[in-house]
Amino acid sequence: MSAVEVTGVDKIFNAGKVAQVDALVGIDLVVEPGEFVSLIGPSGCGKSTLLRLIANLTEPSAGSITVNGKPAKQSRLDQDYGMAFQQAGLFEWRTVAKNIELPLELKGWDRAKRRARAREMLQLVKLPDFADHMPWQLSGGMQQRVAIARALAAHPPLLLMDEPFGALDEMTREHMQAELLRICAQTNTTVIFVTHSIPEAVYLSTRVVVMSPRPGRITDVIHVPLGAGRDDETRETGGFFEKITEVREALRGAELGGGVRGVEDR
Amino acid sequence: MSSVTAPPGTAPPAARAARPLWRRARRVLMFVLSMALIAAVWEGYKAVGPQNGGDVLGWKILPRAKDSIMPHISDIYSRFGDPINRASDETVLSVVLKGVWFSFRLVLAGFAMGLVAGVLLAVLMTRLRVAERAILPYLVISQTVPLIALAPLVATWGGKVEIAGWEWPRWLTASVLGAFLTFFPIAVGTLRGLQSPHPSALELMDSLASPWHRTLFKLRFPAAVPYLVPALKLGAAGAVIGVVVSEISTGLRGGIGRLVTEFGQKATSDPAIVYTAVIGASVLGLAMACLVALADALFMRNRPKETEA
Ligand SMILES: Nc1ncnc2c1ncn2[C@@H]1O[C@H](COP(=O)(O)OP(=O)(O)O)[C@@H](O)[C@H]1O
Ligand SMILES: [Mg+2]
Repeated sequence: MSAVEVTGVDKIFNAGKVAQVDALVGIDLVVEPGEFVSLIGPSGCGKSTLLRLIANLTEPSAGSITVNGKPAKQSRLDQDYGMAFQQAGLFEWRTVAKNIELPLELKGWDRAKRRARAREMLQLVKLPDFADHMPWQLSGGMQQRVAIARALAAHPPLLLMDEPFGALDEMTREHMQAELLRICAQTNTTVIFVTHSIPEAVYLSTRVVVMSPRPGRITDVIHVPLGAGRDDETRETGGFFEKITEVREALRGAELGGGVRGVEDR
Repeated sequence: MSSVTAPPGTAPPAARAARPLWRRARRVLMFVLSMALIAAVWEGYKAVGPQNGGDVLGWKILPRAKDSIMPHISDIYSRFGDPINRASDETVLSVVLKGVWFSFRLVLAGFAMGLVAGVLLAVLMTRLRVAERAILPYLVISQTVPLIALAPLVATWGGKVEIAGWEWPRWLTASVLGAFLTFFPIAVGTLRGLQSPHPSALELMDSLASPWHRTLFKLRFPAAVPYLVPALKLGAAGAVIGVVVSEISTGLRGGIGRLVTEFGQKATSDPAIVYTAVIGASVLGLAMACLVALADALFMRNRPKETEA
């Protein structure tokens, strides 16, 4: 059973009106359990929209989406996935631990079980001593760790992330990338990750999905066989640079079909 | 916590920005100082101001400084301790305090009603966008109706209400008018607060399959608290004004509003007593302000604090 199956999906906003936007057309994407798939492309090419479709936060105009073998809506109701956004989006009135407990509260877990799980998640993201801190006492990188802990608190098999490190400085960002790989390996989580950074996509992914705008579509899928256990040295290998070049050229190829802008080359 | 070595690339946690004690002490001190300043200006003007008033550039705007218009602070103070009139041995202080207490309860009732109504309206407008467009304009218009005109109307309508032997008590009119001035700022402030969460926070709740009412309690209400606190301040002031004005305009006995008119009639023979009622009315306002400040401190205790200059 695939983790995610997107078949023939279109998403048209404001259909039939002057403001009609063909955000996505003819999207086919299958993600197998354990994969780390990045969606990359210039802004406006529909990355977030595709992620939100998989999360069932919006409905496709055509086509079908299954998550964990179930219709996307059922998976959302079953909390089969966790989600993290560019803004950590922690609730400022809750302690760090209580933020992590939020998905568990909605699942109806009792307090003791929630506390125990929150403690476990804080260990996982290496913030064991921050349970009773308030979010605003944490740095941006730490807040993003808490957001990841919250997304994974219910141990969902799938993690959906929309430019989660987009607001972090470069050093913190690279550190968080390594941490994310460790966490996902440790928890066996499948990830779909939106980014507009080529090195980020290559470093993290088993597969990079290249998209282009107007209308939003998938133009290339690039496998990144750098193996598990990637670390800082991986970033300096020839294989890594080759893949960066390959993704960049794929994006440039996509450019011929539509205007590419806003893709970072760092 | 300070023994934790932060992971590389992360800044150390910000120091907890608790409001230091001396800052509160300073506020109390400032209040006392400002009272002293007002007293000094009052007495200073009495010393130098024209006894029978005066004009500036032809306008008669300088108040008369004579004792029958501006009694000495000490006279006002001592008037509190004297009997209310020759026939009674009850002191002015006791009468004023009773009046303040009577009105205070009406204000509390009005404030509570206005709070509930305002929050319910805000929730309704958040739930149904149509409702926001349909209701909000009427709320704005409602606040332009003069209170003086409304008070007798409400009293008349109230007089017609009789449900299963329950009759509309006269004091309720005053409370309802307090509520009338309270609900509006609360509804508007709460509405803004309920709509304040970032779209991604709402999407997060959706992704967790949170039903609307749980999102309301877990996200929207807590997010609305910082918006509610200033709204409560406005609402509290509104409740005081609504109650005192309708006490005056419906002639309700027992409250501070009535004392203001009653004592006002004695102005020529007993100038100091007028000010005792005025001071009583401001004590009423102060009591409500304290209550709201308490709520503020309670609700906002774990929130990020703007660093005060
Ligand atoms: N709710 C919406 N209504 C109308 N248009 C939208 C909406 N959401 C996204 N779009 C449009 O769809 C396109 C893709 O947007 P998005 O998925 O956010 O792109 P990306 O995340 O790749 O930058 C953009 O042209 C955007 O303007
Ligand atoms: Mg986006």
